[in-house]
Amino acid sequence: MIELVRVSKAYSAYNNQITALDNISFKISKGEFVSIVGPSGAGKSTLIKLLICEEKPTSGKILIAGRNIVQLKSAELPYFRRKVGVVFQDFKLLPLKTVYENVAFALEVCEAYPEEIREKVPRILDLVGMIKHKDNLPDELSGGEKQRISIARALVHSPKILIADEPTGNLDPVNAAEIISLLCRINQRGTVVILATHNKIIVDQLKRRVIFLKNGKMVSDVAQGRYVI
Amino acid sequence: MNWLTISRISKLGLINFWRNRWLSLASTLVMTLTLLIISLFVVMTIVINKTTDRIKSKMDITVYFKDSAKTEEISDLQQKLASRSDVQEVVYISKEEALKIWQEQQKNQRLKELITSDENPLPRSLAIKSADPENLVNIAEYLTSPDFSSIIHKISYEDNKIIIDKLLAITSFIKKLGWLLSGVFIIISILVILNTIRLAIFTRKSEVEIMRLVGASDRFIRVPFVIEGTLYGVIACFLAVIIMWIGIFVVSPLITQYLGATVAENMKSFFLAHFAAIFFLQLLVGVTVGIGCSMFSIRKYLKV
Repeated sequence: MIELVRVSKAYSAYNNQITALDNISFKISKGEFVSIVGPSGAGKSTLIKLLICEEKPTSGKILIAGRNIVQLKSAELPYFRRKVGVVFQDFKLLPLKTVYENVAFALEVCEAYPEEIREKVPRILDLVGMIKHKDNLPDELSGGEKQRISIARALVHSPKILIADEPTGNLDPVNAAEIISLLCRINQRGTVVILATHNKIIVDQLKRRVIFLKNGKMVSDVAQGRYVI
Repeated sequence: MNWLTISRISKLGLINFWRNRWLSLASTLVMTLTLLIISLFVVMTIVINKTTDRIKSKMDITVYFKDSAKTEEISDLQQKLASRSDVQEVVYISKEEALKIWQEQQKNQRLKELITSDENPLPRSLAIKSADPENLVNIAEYLTSPDFSSIIHKISYEDNKIIIDKLLAITSFIKKLGWLLSGVFIIISILVILNTIRLAIFTRKSEVEIMRLVGASDRFIRVPFVIEGTLYGVIACFLAVIIMWIGIFVVSPLITQYLGATVAENMKSFFLAHFAAIFFLQLLVGVTVGIGCSMFSIRKYLKV
């Protein structure tokens, strides 16, 4: 499903080369739930950015469904992004749109028909348990609820892959646990979930595959891992 | 692109314009000013051209005769002039006619009474008109030849020529100034509008980011901003035309007072006759600047 082959990413700043990712290779198969962990500055966010094609690696290949996304043209990017759902720590919801509109917006920009929107959005909102808040504005919701909306928006395209970058970073433990269980449910439906986090408790409870990054290098890749420092 | 996308994109553009109404207002007003100045100078240039043409066509040579000159000598000269190919018309003005003209022109009663038919110092004259004002120089030259110096008192051409040349120099200066100012204002307007749209895009950076994130195509992100830019242009164009309309009718009494009714009438009739042309010129400039600035500003945020 996803394969990284000797991926490196270096940023240059004032003649200084900063290596964010150094020769990373791994494979993720269909239906997996993978946590990418590591301390701040380990390269988690860079890895996420490469996976959603926000940035291009300095070297190496990233194959998703057999296609090297490094070579995607900018005109193809929107279509690629529709196949990959992304969730962020800061939710990235449009503050002037209601919950329903925020989710519907993702479909609108993709030239979906109104019938499709009317059919899909309530279903997804129901899945994340937010259907009763569909007419609220994001600011009227708690952090956990906002993150559910953000997940709903990521899922509305029915992506094969859901990438979550610190989705629980702004949440209290109870809300965080609920979001993680939501991610697990999504994973059970067959979606690959890639979770970047530095939350030890969450990773330890999940007992799923853990890729540990440190200083841009892959330190370990354990099938039923724990967050080992 | 289907009608659904088009309607969604247009809606987004209109909403954005309204949500950023203060920024939009600033851009629109700057654009309006630019359009006003450009069209004002275009109209002015054309009115000035017409007026100078009219002045040129009114240019003539008047030859004043000494009282000692015999009538035969004058009519002889009149015939000689009339036979010239570059002369269009030669009109003889007798002392009595000169008096009549004088009295018509003078509004001051005391001045009027100063000259009576009994004591009339006004000279007889020939008014010479040419089809092409440029030819007047040759005619003036012909008249200054020593053959006629015994009967001619004065030729009016030289004095007029200096005034007219000066007038033409001033009008050409105003024209150049107009082009320069129009250019400067277009540049200022482009910079301000560019800045405004950049600001508008900057305040909606996260929105653009989210749009990209959920898979909106570049076109879907760009076009609403382009619609905004177009709106600046269209609204500015309407404003400019309305202001010009009001302006011309307010200013024309002043113009009548200082420059004469013909200039004011010229201006009014020109504006009315060329309304469509002015409108579309403004629309073209406004929309081009608006769209250009939008395209340029959004470029940065669409790069990967």
